[in-house]
Amino acid sequence: MPRKYVIGIDLGTTNSALAWAAPPPDPRELSPVTLLGVPQLVNPGEVRDEDLLPSFLYIAGANDFPAGSLELPWPSADSSMVVGELARKRGTENARRLVSSAKSWLSHAGVDRTAPILPVSAPEGVTKVSPVDASRRYLEHLAAGWNAKMPEAPFAEQQVLVTVPASFDAVARELTLEAARKAGYQDPVLLEEPQAAFYAWIEKHPDWRERVQVGDLILVVDIGGGTTDFTLISVTEGAGELQLERVAVGEHILLGGDNIDLALARHLEQQLAGQGKKLDALQLNALWQQCRLAKERLLAEDANRGEHPVTILGKGTGLVGGTIKTKLLLEDVNRVLLDGFLPLVTSEEMPQRRRMGLAELGLPYAADAAITRHLARFLRQQAAASEHGSVRRGPSGLACPTHVLFNGGVLRSPVVRDRMIEALNNWLRAEGMAPIQPLLGEDLMHAVARGAAYYGMARAGRGVRIRGGIPRTYYVGIESAMPAVPGLPAPLKALAVAPFGMEEGTDLKIPAREFGLIVGEPAEFRFFNSATRKDDEPGALLDGIEEELEELSPVEVNLTGAAGEMVPVTLETVVTETGLLQLWCVARDGRRWKLEFNVREQVSR
Amino acid sequence: MSRIGSAFKSFFAILFSGVLPDDVAREFGYAPKGAVKASTPAPSPASAQPAVGPADGAVQLLGILQRDGRLVDFLMEDISGADDEQVGAAVRTLQEQCREALQRYVRLAPVIDGVEGSFTKLESNDPAVVKLLGNVPATGKAPGGMLRHKGWRAEKVDLPALKPGRNNSVVAPAEVEIE
Repeated sequence: MPRKYVIGIDLGTTNSALAWAAPPPDPRELSPVTLLGVPQLVNPGEVRDEDLLPSFLYIAGANDFPAGSLELPWPSADSSMVVGELARKRGTENARRLVSSAKSWLSHAGVDRTAPILPVSAPEGVTKVSPVDASRRYLEHLAAGWNAKMPEAPFAEQQVLVTVPASFDAVARELTLEAARKAGYQDPVLLEEPQAAFYAWIEKHPDWRERVQVGDLILVVDIGGGTTDFTLISVTEGAGELQLERVAVGEHILLGGDNIDLALARHLEQQLAGQGKKLDALQLNALWQQCRLAKERLLAEDANRGEHPVTILGKGTGLVGGTIKTKLLLEDVNRVLLDGFLPLVTSEEMPQRRRMGLAELGLPYAADAAITRHLARFLRQQAAASEHGSVRRGPSGLACPTHVLFNGGVLRSPVVRDRMIEALNNWLRAEGMAPIQPLLGEDLMHAVARGAAYYGMARAGRGVRIRGGIPRTYYVGIESAMPAVPGLPAPLKALAVAPFGMEEGTDLKIPAREFGLIVGEPAEFRFFNSATRKDDEPGALLDGIEEELEELSPVEVNLTGAAGEMVPVTLETVVTETGLLQLWCVARDGRRWKLEFNVREQVSR
Repeated sequence: MSRIGSAFKSFFAILFSGVLPDDVAREFGYAPKGAVKASTPAPSPASAQPAVGPADGAVQLLGILQRDGRLVDFLMEDISGADDEQVGAAVRTLQEQCREALQRYVRLAPVIDGVEGSFTKLESNDPAVVKLLGNVPATGKAPGGMLRHKGWRAEKVDLPALKPGRNNSVVAPAEVEIE
């Protein structure tokens, strides 16, 4: 049998990547991780290998591209679905056929994520796809790219790891796995992105054990194109060896590098409007790209310029005459970026919350652009949650990390990193703690895919594993046995069924409690989770649905059995090897029912 | 011809005269040695479509420089009335994008990798490779001289394959926005 490769896949919001390793026969050894150049259409009729596959899907119409110009090196069942760089490019010209940020939709509980809803603003007659389907196509493309480059090692026979944001809840994880399976992946394993970034750092630093010590707390800050993700990893000791334990994950924050570039573009657009120059949508898009470039140059390590020219070339063939020119000033970048997105706040300042009665159907973007306030909230939340694992804290209860690892394109800029460190150090100083030490990763755009491949080897006994388990506590809603009150639903209690940190490949029984399960007719189940309540033991019953509990999509199922029968059951929780959460109801006679997270229902309360 | 017949005929032909009989060779898809031209069959049906012509590559490269850097727009525009600052602003962007595109598809290297303004030895006097200027000897050859211009050589051209039958004369499509 041919040797199995380990393949790590970063299914990103704006970019995806694939890294692989060929584990050596000796399980104690590790081998280097390599990035795969993913073949993709970059222009009509032109396929090129690129390290990143832009996570964009363009649903091409009959006249979008010249005939035969969408051929890939592999046969494609549906060539009207363009994935990658060409999709991104063409999407700027015809946005209504472009699917973007499918991953954020995948984690959006307010919509039916298996229904064809994307692109949201597609005109009548365009075949829409579901968030799951779009993700499936990115995964399929990566697999096909692998097969084209490595024909002797079919993708379906390799060990595959797919990363998800740590903030993904059980439903979003399940949907990611569903997309992977539909893409033909065999037994894919999920891994959290910040953990993958940390594995990538370990891969680059085989001497990592000398760089951290027991009691250290490592903060992973991952700012991608569209999302921000925080994780805390604690360094502990077990069996005389250093161990790593993921002790906290943040909420899903839809805020990232694209917001920063757009803010800069809007700033310049207003300036130009003041001079009587109006930009159309395409020009604004060009301005957006130019701002990204100008920002990167102004903030680069060796930059010493105070401004960078920004030019929008004329629209028609009159190029010079129609050129609009302006410049991006370093002080503007600093003002927008540092004061707008990374203000120096105290650790007590919490992000503003959106409280709107009506909102447009769309992604729940973060209402507060200040990443530092979101970070303060994250570290503060760990104060509210009492002890789980060994979290290093200051006198006020604030979690006090000793190290910080940065990941994501935005953090390639030293100015941004320094600002984050400055904010963190202000908080640490107020708590009487020593300054934080940055851990430098090298390849911030590809670290997640690399780290996933490394983890694939670590799973097989080749290196350290971060212990983590599920990053939230899960609850099921239980109707309380109380006399009915007209006009009021029976009060709901929340029963903890899966504790924070429950490890993959384990199961547990909810002790000494029987519940009435309605079978034979449709019944609704409500699920909740919390990233902050970490001490609720399985079986703990909360008297009400508290603020800290977030509701998942409700589940309506019709379990087999005699109509209207109420079966006394006990509950069992299973976390599968791949990180999926399952809840089983077991009757005294041995009958078992599995409650699946269903995503067809919308959360409408 | 029956398979047994072909087999025997081939066997004896190879045994006695060392060649495969023409008719057998053709039947099994082998071109008879030395007779390729003579026995070429009728023109292939593919030539009914216009093939990729020599000019198509030039149009393609122009198309790339236009698509990625708007070079054709710039060269075809009358800029005599535009002020220098405006031209400068446009060119800064254009030059960067065109260079990026050019470097992606064509690997350019100097013909002579020396320092301009200093003496250089010449290994070749091929006028297509080295142009001699100034007091050129009557022989038209020289062992070396002052390097005025390093020259350019396309070491590798890596353009996407063109499809025959496509409208390869279009450098850039017209753009029409639907309101």
